[in-house]
Amino acid sequence: MNVKVVTRILEANDRIALENRRMFDSAGVFVINLMSGPGAGKTSLLERTLAGNTGLRIGVIEGDIAGTDDAERIQKFGAPVVQINTGGACHLDANMIREVLGDLPLGGLDILFIENVGNLVCPAEFKVGEDMKVMILSIAEGHDKPLKYPLMFQESSALVLNKIDLAPYTDADVAKIRRDALSLNPRLKIFEVSCKTGQGLEEWAGWLRERAKG
Amino acid sequence: MHEVSIALNLLDIVVEECRKSGGSTVESINIRIGRASGVMTDALLFAFDAVKAGSVAAGAGLNIEEVPLSGHCRECGDDFEVGEEYVLCCPLCGGVSFEITAGRELDIIDMEVT
Repeated sequence: MNVKVVTRILEANDRIALENRRMFDSAGVFVINLMSGPGAGKTSLLERTLAGNTGLRIGVIEGDIAGTDDAERIQKFGAPVVQINTGGACHLDANMIREVLGDLPLGGLDILFIENVGNLVCPAEFKVGEDMKVMILSIAEGHDKPLKYPLMFQESSALVLNKIDLAPYTDADVAKIRRDALSLNPRLKIFEVSCKTGQGLEEWAGWLRERAKG
Repeated sequence: MHEVSIALNLLDIVVEECRKSGGSTVESINIRIGRASGVMTDALLFAFDAVKAGSVAAGAGLNIEEVPLSGHCRECGDDFEVGEEYVLCCPLCGGVSFEITAGRELDIIDMEVT
């Protein structure tokens, strides 16, 4: 017998993501799914954001394959943080997020960052209930990345180009990164920052405040 | 690497649909995967073979229809298909600004159940 199914294979994940999203909305918290390859500066950007005077109440969910290093770094700033260890999985999914939501004071937050597992491919495929995806590319990774990993650039609303202070020491063509990223996603908001020197972080913080207000 | 997660999601749907249909065994499954979905078909076939063992779909074949990446050029209005995944520009005018119209699918279509 032929059984018609016609559904997205990730339908179950998408359904849980929607439930998470409803919880976030009713708590009035804006949620950002922060993605990048390993070492691009996700945790550093969060540290800088927490240290800056944004006036925002920020919480963090840290996703890593193993370890609690990132959560410990965030905890130093007094921000509510929960560590998820995926135990091998290369991305966070909606169910992992649902399981830790009770551990965060959602109603007392303006922004919740979900720092995904460092990976430029898989996290883009799994919704977790976020309002928006933001990705980081450090220019040291090279200017060929947008065209090699198009999905993440297409799914993201903003691109943070980190380690911009290294531009004079690398062959990375920042103009090409911008051009290719915008060709994949013309609405992409791009920030050039250095978590080392602090360059560009004011603009980033201002943009976050706008998002949290909306 | 996330093909195992996708295979597990697929198996959940297949087992549930088989139960609802009153069948006992899944013979075959037809799915549609876009070339820009981020999923490698070989890896998905391998993962599904591993996760289906011991389930009602243990003997089920997985048929994958690959959908090419298609776009609509914002510059010249051409509708086109991208042959090579990572050559992302309009073949007519060379424009690099386009909307993806197909190629992101990750869908289960139907299955044979006995």
